[in-house]
Amino acid sequence: MRDLGLSVYTKIFAAVNEHLNSEISARYALNFARACGAKLYICFIAEKGMSRSSFDRAEDAIKRLFIKAEEMDIQVESIIETGELVKEIHKIVRHEGIDIVFASTRREDIERRFYAGTIARSLSLALPCSVALVRVVHMGRIHPRNILVPIKAKIDHIKERAYFTAKMAESFGSKVFVFHATKPITKFFHGEIHLTPVEWEKRLPKDTSIFMEYLRKYQIEFEGRVLPGTTARSITIEAASKKHDLIIMGASERSLLSSIFKGNPVEELLRETPCDLIVLKPRHEDK
Amino acid sequence: MKINSLTVKEVFHSLVTLEEGLTEDEAKRRLKEFGYNEIEEVKKKPLTFRFLGQFTHFLAVLLWIAALLSFLSEYLHPGEGMLTLGFAITAVIFINAIFTFVQEYRAEKALEEMKRLLPFYVKVIREGKEREIYAKEVVPGDVILLSEGDKVSADTRLIESNDIKVNNAPLTGESEPVTRVIEPFTGELINSSNIAFAGTTVVSGSGKGVVFATGMRTEFGRIAHLTGTVTSGLSPLQKEIIKITRVIAAIATVMGVIFFATGHFIGRTFWENFLFAVGIIVANVPEGLLPTVTLSLAMGSQRMAKRMALIKTLTSVETLGSVSVICTDKTGTLTQNKMAVKRIAYIGEGIKTEGQGPSLLTVALLCNNTKEVEGNLKGEPTEVALSRAALESIGHVESRRIKEFPFDSDRKRMSTINSINGSIYVMTKGAPENIFTICSHCLRDGEILYFDEALRDKSVSLYHSMMDEGLRVLAFAYREVKSGEDIKSKEDVERDMVFLGLVGLEDPPRPEVPEAIKKCREAGIKIIMITGDGSRTALAIAREIGLVKGNPSIVEGSDFLRMSDDELRMVLSKEEVIFSRMTPKHKLRVVNILKEEGERVAVTGDGVNDAPALKRADIGIAMGIAGTDVAKEAADMILLDDNFATIVNAIEEGRAVYENIRKFISYIFSSNIPEIVPYLTYVLLRIPLPLTIMQILAVDLGTDMFPALALGAEKPSPAVMKIPPRSPRERLLNPPLLTRAYLFLGPIEAAAGLFGYFYVLNKGSWQWGEMLTSNNILYLQATTACLTAIIVTQIANVFACRSFKESVFRLGIFTNRLIFAGIAFEILLQLFIVYHPFGNKIFSTHPISVEIWLILIPFALLLFSAEELRKLMVRKTEKRVNAQGLL
Repeated sequence: MRDLGLSVYTKIFAAVNEHLNSEISARYALNFARACGAKLYICFIAEKGMSRSSFDRAEDAIKRLFIKAEEMDIQVESIIETGELVKEIHKIVRHEGIDIVFASTRREDIERRFYAGTIARSLSLALPCSVALVRVVHMGRIHPRNILVPIKAKIDHIKERAYFTAKMAESFGSKVFVFHATKPITKFFHGEIHLTPVEWEKRLPKDTSIFMEYLRKYQIEFEGRVLPGTTARSITIEAASKKHDLIIMGASERSLLSSIFKGNPVEELLRETPCDLIVLKPRHEDK
Repeated sequence: MKINSLTVKEVFHSLVTLEEGLTEDEAKRRLKEFGYNEIEEVKKKPLTFRFLGQFTHFLAVLLWIAALLSFLSEYLHPGEGMLTLGFAITAVIFINAIFTFVQEYRAEKALEEMKRLLPFYVKVIREGKEREIYAKEVVPGDVILLSEGDKVSADTRLIESNDIKVNNAPLTGESEPVTRVIEPFTGELINSSNIAFAGTTVVSGSGKGVVFATGMRTEFGRIAHLTGTVTSGLSPLQKEIIKITRVIAAIATVMGVIFFATGHFIGRTFWENFLFAVGIIVANVPEGLLPTVTLSLAMGSQRMAKRMALIKTLTSVETLGSVSVICTDKTGTLTQNKMAVKRIAYIGEGIKTEGQGPSLLTVALLCNNTKEVEGNLKGEPTEVALSRAALESIGHVESRRIKEFPFDSDRKRMSTINSINGSIYVMTKGAPENIFTICSHCLRDGEILYFDEALRDKSVSLYHSMMDEGLRVLAFAYREVKSGEDIKSKEDVERDMVFLGLVGLEDPPRPEVPEAIKKCREAGIKIIMITGDGSRTALAIAREIGLVKGNPSIVEGSDFLRMSDDELRMVLSKEEVIFSRMTPKHKLRVVNILKEEGERVAVTGDGVNDAPALKRADIGIAMGIAGTDVAKEAADMILLDDNFATIVNAIEEGRAVYENIRKFISYIFSSNIPEIVPYLTYVLLRIPLPLTIMQILAVDLGTDMFPALALGAEKPSPAVMKIPPRSPRERLLNPPLLTRAYLFLGPIEAAAGLFGYFYVLNKGSWQWGEMLTSNNILYLQATTACLTAIIVTQIANVFACRSFKESVFRLGIFTNRLIFAGIAFEILLQLFIVYHPFGNKIFSTHPISVEIWLILIPFALLLFSAEELRKLMVRKTEKRVNAQGLL
C-alpha cells in the first residue's frame, strides 16, 4: 500500500468479460484514467469452459475500449489471460503495481444474501489495491452529471475517497451531492424529534466535513445534506427524486452477523439503486 | 451527456447493438444481467410482521407480562379468578392490536395501477427479424417497433420516426400528443423529443427505437420506485398514541412497583401484593382508548364522505386537522375548468379586408382539434372554448386539413396547414411570446403591416394587460403557402407569419373558493398555488380568489429548476407563494422541503407523476373526477367533486376530530382515578378490595365506550377554524388535560365509589378491619355499589367533557343526541352487570337496591356543577387576561 499523494492512481485496471455491463464499467474506468492521467489496463480473463461466442464478445469489447482509449489519448494496454478470474487478476495487480481495479457486479452477485461467495466480494477482499465495483443499471446516462455520494458518520481513507470522487466528477464535469443519512433523534416520552435541515447541518459528522473540505480543495462543485432515515432507503429515494446519474459509496464493513441483524445498506442499494452505482473499497493509506 | 444527445449511429455504438437488433443469445445474456422489464414492488415489511408489531410495543409487552403473571398465579394459586383475568388481559392486547392495525392499514395498490399502463407484448427486431415477445423480456439494446395504439414498454431512443406522436401524460401530466423525432436533442432526458418513454402511448404514426432502460430504471419505473418507497411517516395521531402509551406504561409500572414494595413492607403476602400490582397496571391502562379512537376516526371519515371527501386511511382524518400548508393545483380545483373566451384583442380595430386570408376566429376554429360528437364539442377545454366562440360568431368554415404540427412544450404552439377555397394557409396558435417570434407582419385595421418594434411593443402590452385580468392568452397567426413550397417540417412553415391578434380565455374560479380561502387564512393555513399557467395569469386569479393580498413570491418553472434547495426554502418561508409554469413532477421537491421545515403538508394531484408527491405529503389529495387511478391509489383522500372548498371542509372536520379525541381522552382518563384509588385503599387501609379487576375492565371496555364515541361525534365548533394549526410540539395528553382528569374529575368519582362501597358495608354491619371472602354477598354488593358509583358519575362526566371551557348549557344539552344513546347503552350494560345472573357471574357483582343508585346521584350533580364552576372561572380568567392584554 502506498501513501496517498495527489496522483494516487497511476495504473488503473478494468476487468472486462462477455457481458455488456463490464464494458460499461470499463467506460467509467476509461474516463477516470483520463482524469487521473493514468495508464489503463483492459483485461479479460477467459475462464475454463467458456464458449467461443463469449470469448469473441469479450474480445470485441476489449477492442472497442482500446480504440476509444486511444481516441482519448489514454495510455492503454490490453491483457487477455486464461485461468481462474480472481487469482489471475491478483497476479496482474501485483505484477503491474495496479492502484485500482474497476470490475462490474453481476446480477447473480446481488441476488445472493450479503453477496457471499461472489466474485465481486472475492475481488474486494483479495486484491491488494483499491477496488471499484460498478453496478450498471441505466444505459441512457452516459456521462453522469449529478453524482450522489452517501457518507457514513465514521469513515476511513477519507482522502482517497474524496480523491476518487473528485476525479470521477472531474472526468465527467459532474456536480457532487454529499449525503449523510442518520438515525432520527428520539426520546422515550417524546418520540422522534424533528430537526430542520439547518439544524441537521450543525450535526454533520466530522468525517463528512473533512470529506467535503477535500472536495473543496479539489475545486469540485458540491452540496452537502444530512437527513434522518434508513440508510439504503434514504439513498435510493434521494437518488430517484433528485435524478442523480451515479452513486459512489464505500464498501460495506459490516460483519456477516451484523448484516443479518442490522441489514446491509450496500447490499440493499446494489439491489434497488435507480442509477449506476460504484462501491469503492479504498486501500491507500491516508498521509 | 445522455443518450438523447447522441446521433443514431452513436446510439448503436453506445448500446452495443445493431439496426438488425440483438441476437437471441445476447438478448438472453442481457436479460440475465439487467433483469425483467417490469415494475417491481419495493421490498417492504410483510403485512403479518406489521400486524405482529402491534403485539411487541412497550405497552403490549407490559400487558403480556401482566397476563403471564396472571396465568402463573392461577397455576400456583388456583381458584382466585386469575385465569379469567389472564384471558381478559390477553383479549385487551388483541383488541388493541387489531384496532391499531385497522387504523394504520392501507392497501397499496398504486403500483398495481401503474403496471396496467405497460403493455403485455411488444414487437422487436432480433437477428434482423421482426418478432413479438413478452414486454417483460425486452432488454437494453433491443430494437423495438412502435405503431399507433401501442403502449411503450421501455425507455427507447428513437432511430426512425414516421410522424410518430406519443401521449406523455403519465410522465408529464400533459395530455397533448407530442411528436417524436430522431435528431439529437441537448437537454434533459425527460424533455427529449427523440425518446419514447415507458408507460406512454403511441397516438399516431409509427417508429423504431433502441431500448436504453428497462423496468424500474425507466422514468416510469423511477416514479413507481418513489411511489413505492416514499412515505409521509407516522401520522401526528400515531405519534401521539405512542407517546401516550409510553407515559401510561411508565406510570403504571412505577405505581405497580412502588405499591408492591409498600404492601411488602406493611406485611401483606406476596400474592396479595401481586394481585394489587396487576390491578394497578390494569387500572392505569385505558383499555378502551384505542378502539374508541379508531371508531371515532371511522365516524369522522363517514362525516367527511358526506362532505365529498373520501378518506382512505383512518389516521388521515385527524392528520387533516393538523395541516399547516396546502399545495394546490389551480385548474379544476380552484377554478371550474370550464374555459370560455372572454376577450378578443387586435392591434387597432381588428378589421379585415376580404381576400386577406383567414380571420382570427377562422384560425381559432381550424387550427383546433375539437370534434363535434352528437351536437357536443369534445376536446381539450381551451380548444373547445375557442371552437365554441368561433362557431357562435362565424359558423362553420369549409376547409381541408393537409397537415398538422401538434403542440409541444418547447415551441408552445401548434400549426395546421389548411386549404380554404383553393388557397393553402399555415395557421398557428400558441403562447404569445412564442408566436411573436415567428411573425414578420401583423394585421392592423384591415392592413397588413411590417411587425416593427412599435407594433411588437403594443402587442406585448396588450398581452400583459390581458394576463393581468387573469386570462389565459393565446396568439393567432397565419401565412399563405406559396405553390411548390416545402411544408415538411415545422421550421419550414412556422415563419414570416401574419400576427392576427390575441384571445383571452377565462377559467372562472369556483364560487365556494374565496370563502374557503378566507377560512384557511383565519385558520392560519398557508396555501401555495402550483400551476402550469403563466405568472401574470396565476397572480390575477390568485388575487381574484383572495389567495394573495400583497406582493407574493412568484417562482416560474425554469427558475425553480435552477434554484438550490436552500434558495427554495427561503422562498417557501414567505407568506404568499405561487409557482407558475410548473409541471407535476416538481411537486415532490416542494413537498419535501416543506416537510423538512416541519410543516404538515397537504398536496393535490391527479396524474401518474403526482403519485410520489401524494405519497410523501402528510395528506395526498387526489381528484375524484379528473384524477388517474394511480393518483387515487397513492392518495390519502379523494375529492369526489375536485373542489378546493372540500379540502377546507375536511380540514375543519379533522380539527374537530382532534378536539373530540381530547374530549373523550379526558372522559376515559377521569375514570382511571376511581379505578386506582380502591387499590390504594385496599393496601393502605387494609380493607377488602373495593373494585375487582374484571369490574375495571367492565368500565374501560364496556360502559365507557359508547359515551366516549358519542363525544367523538361532537360537531366542529365555529372557533375550530379561527385558531392556527396546532404546533407539532403540542401534546394530545398535556398537563392541563391530565390535571383536569386525574386531580379534579377523577377524585370526585373516586369519592363516589368509596362512598357507595362503605355505605353498603356499613349498612351490612361490617366492622373495620374485617376481611370478607370473595363470594360474600355483602362484599359483592359493596363492590357493585362502587362500580355503580363510577358509572353514575361518568354519566355526568360525559356532559362535562363535551367542552373544555364552554358551559354545556351554552352548547345546548340536546345538540349531540348520540350522547343520550351512549348513556342509555351505559345504563343498560350496568343493569345487565348488576341484575343479570350472567353479568353477576362474569363481573362478581350482586343486585343492589334502588336506594343505592339514588344516594349516588348527588355525586354526579356535584361533578357536573363543580365542572361548570371551573369552566366559568376559566372563562372569566381568560376574559380578564384578554382585557389586560388589550390595555
